[in-house]
Amino acid sequence: MKKTFSVNLGDRVYNIDEDAYLKLKEYLDRIEGYFSDQHERGEIISDIELRISELFAERLGMNKQVVTRNDVEEVIAIMGDPREISGVEDEPRSSREKRTGPRRIFRDPDDRMIAGVCSGLGAYMGIDPVIMRILFVLFLIFGVGFLVYIILWIVVPEARTTAQKLEMRGDPVNTSNIGNFFREEFDSVRKSFRRKKK
Amino acid sequence: MDFENAKAQMRKGVLEFCILSILSRGDAYATDILNRLKESELIVVEGTLYPLLSRQKNAGLLSYRWEESTQGPPRKYYALTDKGREVLKELESSWHELIDAVDSILKK
Repeated sequence: MKKTFSVNLGDRVYNIDEDAYLKLKEYLDRIEGYFSDQHERGEIISDIELRISELFAERLGMNKQVVTRNDVEEVIAIMGDPREISGVEDEPRSSREKRTGPRRIFRDPDDRMIAGVCSGLGAYMGIDPVIMRILFVLFLIFGVGFLVYIILWIVVPEARTTAQKLEMRGDPVNTSNIGNFFREEFDSVRKSFRRKKK
Repeated sequence: MDFENAKAQMRKGVLEFCILSILSRGDAYATDILNRLKESELIVVEGTLYPLLSRQKNAGLLSYRWEESTQGPPRKYYALTDKGREVLKELESSWHELIDAVDSILKK
């Protein structure tokens, strides 16, 4: 038994499986990320939704009433990769730039080698934590790194709550972001669980 | 040198020309245009068409109207504007010039 959602695509209503819905939503969000002009983006997305609606209509009938993940995958293959659709070579407005809330420095307990100082600083400055770590190792070689690390360890609080983790990355703290955060967490737990099972 | 990029740019220019040319033979909605472009293998994934249509419309080359459909969602029918016709004429002549020029180089 699967849960379904009903979605409005091009002014028609479709019943769609939950996993298919998430896949389609993620796809449309990715396309959106490639267009910066708001007016143009709205129009292109609604044109694409219209076409997807048409493709769904072709696939449904008396014997098939629900859009499945398989249908969504087929449709995505027909529509193409968001990067190709946009025709631009550069990366989309990245997730780092989109995070516009005020940032605070925390230590990141989920991504740490010692105490999470480097990954926390990395999240604050929008730098890959690996690069922060390399910088710190270089500092270490020149003598001051160890002391600096210990001081930061003491001074910088650990991000314990979800709200703090969002603030650390500069995401505004609101219910939808907290929901997203839990979904990401859940996915990563599920992935690591699967890896362990293998 | 990024040849992929050069190829993509070339294809995009040609696509814009072909969209105008298809519409010069009569109004069409996106799926009609797509089918013609796919027949001649000018387009691989459908999504690439929509930003082009949107850009041409915003540049005043195309206009559109809505029509109901019995089989699916309403359709957005595109038509060439006067400006679109002018641009198409220019593109046609520069296309032929370009072909002649490239041919003359390739054949030497």
